[in-house]
Amino acid sequence: MAKKSSEPKAFQQSRRTRRSWLTFVRMCRYGINNFSRNTWLTIAATAVMTITLLIIFMTLVARQVLFDTVDVIKDKVDMSIYIKTDTPEKKASSIKLQLEKLSSVKSVVYVSPKQAREKFAEDNKGDVKTLEALREAVNKFPGTFNVKIVDINDTSELQRFVESNKDYSEQADPNRSPSFSGSRRAAIQNIGLAIQFAERAGLIASITFIVISSLIVFNTIRMAIFNRKEEIQMMKLIGADKSFIRGPFVVEAVVYGFIAAILATALGLAALYAAKDKLLDYQIAIGPTIDKITIYIPLVLLVMIVMGAAIGVVSSMLATRKYLKI
Amino acid sequence: MILLDRVTKSYGKDNKPALSRISLHVEPKEFVIIVGTSGAGKSTLLKLLTREEKPTSGKIVVGGIDYDSLKDKHIPLLRRKIGVVFQDFKLLPQRTVYENIAFALEIAGMTGKEIKNTVPKVIELVGLSGKEKKFPNQLSGGEQQRVAIARAIVRQPKILIADEPTGNLDPRHSWDIVRLLEKINAYGTTVLLTTHNVEIVNKLKRRVITMDHGKITSDQAQGSYRQGK
Repeated sequence: MAKKSSEPKAFQQSRRTRRSWLTFVRMCRYGINNFSRNTWLTIAATAVMTITLLIIFMTLVARQVLFDTVDVIKDKVDMSIYIKTDTPEKKASSIKLQLEKLSSVKSVVYVSPKQAREKFAEDNKGDVKTLEALREAVNKFPGTFNVKIVDINDTSELQRFVESNKDYSEQADPNRSPSFSGSRRAAIQNIGLAIQFAERAGLIASITFIVISSLIVFNTIRMAIFNRKEEIQMMKLIGADKSFIRGPFVVEAVVYGFIAAILATALGLAALYAAKDKLLDYQIAIGPTIDKITIYIPLVLLVMIVMGAAIGVVSSMLATRKYLKI
Repeated sequence: MILLDRVTKSYGKDNKPALSRISLHVEPKEFVIIVGTSGAGKSTLLKLLTREEKPTSGKIVVGGIDYDSLKDKHIPLLRRKIGVVFQDFKLLPQRTVYENIAFALEIAGMTGKEIKNTVPKVIELVGLSGKEKKFPNQLSGGEQQRVAIARAIVRQPKILIADEPTGNLDPRHSWDIVRLLEKINAYGTTVLLTTHNVEIVNKLKRRVITMDHGKITSDQAQGSYRQGK
């Protein structure tokens, strides 16, 4: 008896599942048919979607390149702290160690007076007079600590060290102030502010571009669906469910997104390779970004496809909603 | 089969009602012609039957379904039970004759095998054999209307509503379509036809309902029609 009553239920369930599957397959088929049979609409929508994804791709790349370039600039900015020429090596090492212990300090390189003199000689090896004068003169180069700090906008800890550290105070070069004070301080601070501005502007520009380009795609898909509103009306009148009407439009938009993602990634990458040498000439650190994209190309492509499909799905869902009211 | 009881439809409070306290009863297998000038309320009446519009007041029962208790989510199911033919055909331009007709079955969840069995028979019934792979823009107006009729009847509805189906056709094709509707009626489908064509109305000798300014002004069992009446 129990078996008898469970059979029709199982049968109904399997029938429902089969119908849902059939409906899904048909929606996909119709979506792909619409894509292939509306040539001009397809070209226009795919082109707009490609441009949108390309803008998003380039915006994100530009942001990454900006970060990399900023890192390079940050790395080039170091603070110099000078000690007297006759400071014993042991004292210099002790000051170096204490500097390295500061949390705001990334690294410290000590250039001894001897090394400074050798470097000066090397830099001026073509200038006989200077070299001769250097040979005759007593070494007056100071010992220099080249300090790289974590945040170039925050030199307060280093400042406190210079003002209060006993070892340093004893050995400080009276003729040379540390570089983060005096005239170089303003220059370093300007670089820091410029970097901060560039990062914020980059973020705002990225969001603005992504929003605007998504709106353009939404509008294109909306126009495409507006052109077919009579078709939607007819489908409603012969009894199609909302999901059955909406499905093909969503599938079509996903196909736009898929093809546009491949095109945009290919175009974007080609553009980056083409511009690489020129950008490197301008000291723009594009190399690491290109390397990352090339290594992770399947992931990049996947993200682009998901993004294209998501924009397509949301746009088509919103655009069809208006025409699907009873 | 169709029952309307004191149905009124108004668009806005200040406007004159498009339909005013209409009462109508159509028996199963009847062939009813609705005539009237533009603005008489014919299209509004049909829109109420297909549930494109809701009445302002009154009761509508079609095929045993009381529209008062019909939920929005069940409207597609209702529409699958009513075949509709339009003056402008409303075919899917990107789909072939076969696909346009099959679409009506696909939305109902029929299997591919069932569709393959049914569609060719209906194509043959409407006289379009050999044109299965044509797109609507490759067909004449009369042929397009035949596709629309095939799509409307392929699910074997109990009611077929034809809203000015001959409005865009020349006299010869108009008669082809009317003969086809008579054939469908002969198989047992209730047909509701709206038309302006005096010759068709007068030659058919069927029940004629005349509408004017949102009211039924005459209902004759074997009626006739004079334009401007």
